[in-house]
Amino acid sequence: MPTTKTNWLESYRTYQGYDELYTSAAEVKDYWKKLFAQFEELGVNELTARQKDMDWLLSENGVTYNVYNDPKGMHRPWNLNLVPFLLHQNEWKTVKAGLRQRAELLNHILKDIYGERSLIKKGVVPHEVIYGHKGFLRQCSGIPQVTQKYLSIYAADLARGTDGRLWVVNDRTEAPSGMGYTLENRSTTSRILPGIYSKMNVTRLSGFYQELNQMLEDASPTKKEHPNIVILTPGSHNETYFEHAYLASFLGYPLVQGNDLVVRDGFLWMKSLQGLKQIDVVLRRVDDAFADPLELREDSHLGVAGLLDVVRRKNVSIINPVGSGVMENPGLIPFMPGVARYFLDEDLILPQIASWWCGQEKEKKYVLENLSKLVIKQIDSTNRESIHFGEFLNSGELDQLKQKIAQRPYRFVAQERISFSTAPNLIEEHLEPRNLVTRAFCIASGNDYAVMPGGLVRVAPDRETIRVSNQRGGTSKDFWVLADDPVKEDKIRLWQRRSSLSISGLNDLPSLTAENLYWAGRYVGRVLINARFLRMTLGQLAMIQNRNQEPNSDKLRILLKTVTHLTGTYPGFAKKAKEGPQAIEHPYAEMLSVIKDKDRVGSLAHTINMFGNAYYAIRNLWSSDMWRVFEDIQKVWKSFQDEERPSMTGILRVLNRLITRLIAFMGLIEESIMIKQGLLLYFIGLQLEQSMLTITKCRSLLTIKYEDATEYDLLEYLLTSHESLNIYRYSYRSYIQLAPVLNLVLLDLEYPRSLTYMINRLQKDIVRLPQSEKDNHLTSYQKPVFEAFSKLRLAESNTLAATSESGSYIRQDLDTLLEELSNLLYKTSQAITSTYFNHTDEQNQLIVQTFPL
Amino acid sequence: MLFNVTHITKYKYDAPVSYGHNMATLRPRESMGQELLDYKIAITPEPSETSERLDFFGNYITRFSMQTEHEELKVKTQSRVKRDYGRYRDQFFSPACKNITMDQALATLNSTEPEILEAKQFTLESTFIRKTDKGILEYAQKSFQGNRSVFEASFELMQRIYTDFDFVSGFTTISTPINEVMQEKKGVCQDFAQIAIACIRSMGLPAKYISGYIETLPPPGEEKLVGADASHAWFAIFIPGFGWVDFDPTNNQIPLDQHIVVGWGRDYYDVPPLKGVVYGSGTSKLKVSVDIARME
Repeated sequence: MPTTKTNWLESYRTYQGYDELYTSAAEVKDYWKKLFAQFEELGVNELTARQKDMDWLLSENGVTYNVYNDPKGMHRPWNLNLVPFLLHQNEWKTVKAGLRQRAELLNHILKDIYGERSLIKKGVVPHEVIYGHKGFLRQCSGIPQVTQKYLSIYAADLARGTDGRLWVVNDRTEAPSGMGYTLENRSTTSRILPGIYSKMNVTRLSGFYQELNQMLEDASPTKKEHPNIVILTPGSHNETYFEHAYLASFLGYPLVQGNDLVVRDGFLWMKSLQGLKQIDVVLRRVDDAFADPLELREDSHLGVAGLLDVVRRKNVSIINPVGSGVMENPGLIPFMPGVARYFLDEDLILPQIASWWCGQEKEKKYVLENLSKLVIKQIDSTNRESIHFGEFLNSGELDQLKQKIAQRPYRFVAQERISFSTAPNLIEEHLEPRNLVTRAFCIASGNDYAVMPGGLVRVAPDRETIRVSNQRGGTSKDFWVLADDPVKEDKIRLWQRRSSLSISGLNDLPSLTAENLYWAGRYVGRVLINARFLRMTLGQLAMIQNRNQEPNSDKLRILLKTVTHLTGTYPGFAKKAKEGPQAIEHPYAEMLSVIKDKDRVGSLAHTINMFGNAYYAIRNLWSSDMWRVFEDIQKVWKSFQDEERPSMTGILRVLNRLITRLIAFMGLIEESIMIKQGLLLYFIGLQLEQSMLTITKCRSLLTIKYEDATEYDLLEYLLTSHESLNIYRYSYRSYIQLAPVLNLVLLDLEYPRSLTYMINRLQKDIVRLPQSEKDNHLTSYQKPVFEAFSKLRLAESNTLAATSESGSYIRQDLDTLLEELSNLLYKTSQAITSTYFNHTDEQNQLIVQTFPL
Repeated sequence: MLFNVTHITKYKYDAPVSYGHNMATLRPRESMGQELLDYKIAITPEPSETSERLDFFGNYITRFSMQTEHEELKVKTQSRVKRDYGRYRDQFFSPACKNITMDQALATLNSTEPEILEAKQFTLESTFIRKTDKGILEYAQKSFQGNRSVFEASFELMQRIYTDFDFVSGFTTISTPINEVMQEKKGVCQDFAQIAIACIRSMGLPAKYISGYIETLPPPGEEKLVGADASHAWFAIFIPGFGWVDFDPTNNQIPLDQHIVVGWGRDYYDVPPLKGVVYGSGTSKLKVSVDIARME
């Protein structure tokens, strides 16, 4: 092996403008020298290996970012570059003061525009900048705020401008994202580079997250020792859902969706398994307009109807308050110096990106004349579709834009197009400069703001890209604020959890989470049982005959029919198709469809998909091992899905791998989630599903009497797919016969795979549900399980095995019993659903209107 | 003139509603030349709670919640209103109002007088009146010119809408885009009011949407039918230097005493008589009746 010592510094070539490495005198800053010296010690091989470790760790922990309409699909892995972004504490001190000042100013603005509106009345801010911004919610005017600061969380995007100072480029006030990713970045980087991390004297972040927790507790409208706090997420499809789940589990608050909450009697309540729990504080990640379908966007299903009124009555605090999105407003930038003088009699500490608001004649004229040099934004829409880079527009497009600006000038702001600083990024084996933007965070703390000593650094994906955004790909960095002296290791000060709503109590489990856990159990059971049966059937199909011909034996025909019954993929082998070729004539093609066709309801692919959805929605309850195995399952399945013509052995191999991983996954669930965290619901779902499918299987295979040889094979198939063949041999040491098989598979009280055992377990589990009657009368969902259990206990295998009269081919008693059991379990499932997951009431508008926003 | 207004709204659900939150803008607000002498609201089934507040524009909002299962919701309001707006009519036609040209009006709008500032927000886009196209602008330009009286231009705009547009109920819904209404030239009073507002705003002048009632008179010799009256909507333009003037493009007249104001806002979205979110699985049927009885 050649030595890999490289002189990083010499090979680092900046290509344009300002690089973080250098002082204005073109000398390398001391702290970067120090970092590079450490890198040299590690060497290039080690460094690239650590980057790989980092990628691995992030994917292990399931850190993802969803990109809407991304061909690569949801749950894109989060990218973190090994090289951190560095800032010395002396420089940070100024930035910090500037951020605190800006947070305070925005706080004043927020309070003013929803209150007196003196800024407008006194002409400090033109009325159009506020009234013309669609985030100004007139419904929120005059809403009282119980927190000391109106603005509780503030985030600013910072970038280093041409003058070498950090500039504010964006204000984020509605529901700023990034605090969770920042925490994850820090924990990953400090684990991957432990030595460097401790030698570089990096300021710790944990104090800041305690501030966050404290702020949420203090936000409670009535001063309680144990306020109930929840995190409101739009759901698992949201781009930053990972972070919502991450923060919820880090802070120890329930993660809820709009559907979990309800307004009654002027208060906000969470629907939990036990009943309604009053909520004091909501940390929301749902956008302003979606927060309350009664007063805001009528078509929103992400919010809670009546929420604003609860705020008005001072019975709940929303963090940040609904309506704060109006300050994500580049139109405010030109007026910020005036605002600073008006409220604080101060000058702005942090420079801002030069901006021209077109609502003013002079500015509009300048913008129209210099359009091709500027970046044009709308005051209330900072998404990329509405940002225009003048330099990339042709003359036709420029004219069009000019017309638009002339029509409604107040809606447009133009900003200088500048190149921000670059910093080194590890790209394969080289360090290359990349543009970056840093998101800094402030939290209201008493009468002041606490600033996170760090932030979320996002890096442009390639040399050419100057605009940086997660939606466009790119990567991130940890942000180190460096002290001169060694930083004392934080004692692991896990603060006292003071919320009485704990995420670890079954009673307080949000009903949506409970429902997801229940379905997680049902789907995992369904995938496992179906995969086993399909594997066995496919094996027989391969062994017995040419797989492209109609089966020539009863046993195969019955097996195939059972596949259809078990998966519910009718007509399949069970019924005559109304048109087209009959499945039974092309058994292999049909089997392939039942396994692979993800658009076919009931197919294995479809069930795996449902399984994935149910699990992703309870992401916050997972352990990292679970994530790894889950990813593995998805990977195995994905590569199989992509195969055009899988071979028979290929399919069998995939099914084997799927089954092994599923079993590992099920084991992990049981040890990663506590019963009181909701695992009970998972078990209930799992037992119900396994019971139901066992019944279906037995009914399809056993209720009709065939000739002895066929019957023998069918019993063997049943035992094989049930993973019970060895147990049978061990227990009965005999030729396989129906009555003992029924004893083992249906009636055994001790054998965990028998139906009686599972239903007994189900019976015990549902007693532990919060609304179960422990003493006297059984509840609606307990009764059918009790009845099912009793029927099984009263049944006798010999009677069940007999046909009703000689010469008959139907085992009437067995069929009747199985049918009754099937109905009883269905009833149980319905009753559990209506008792605990009552989301059946749809939210409707009194008058249906679509919202043209 | 003194009126007793009875406004009944009924929702019949085809499946029981377990609970719901509702908001009503039904209580007539304070307004120039209008006094509310008495007001009652009755809701069945009895709501679990009711509260009233003033919104951003000064309208009365009644908010109520139903928490018991019900299949029908009935909201009945009774308002006794005194209208004396007719006496301002002459002022509108006075030189103080009529002589203000659009150029003057636009210049006056640059002032930061509280009254002007308050009115100026009504020049901006709003929820339903936004992204208006050339069709609107060109339609407005036919009446509004720099050196022409704003009042006369508005009067003419009202007349043109009355003549050019057909009153066709059911053709539009509240969410039909304004540009489409302009193309089709069909609609109901809400649409006509919003078309006028869009036109005025395209000129840079403030205009607001007024929701209320209008007394209808039976054809000569016939009895007036109870419930034949209706909710109504019109617009007002702000003439800087003079004030707000109402116009009713549906009836081609300046509203006088037969128009009763309930509330106003930037467009229909700000003042829907009743809206709500209900939880249930079915759909609902709506029935509205308004009766305006002239007392003196």
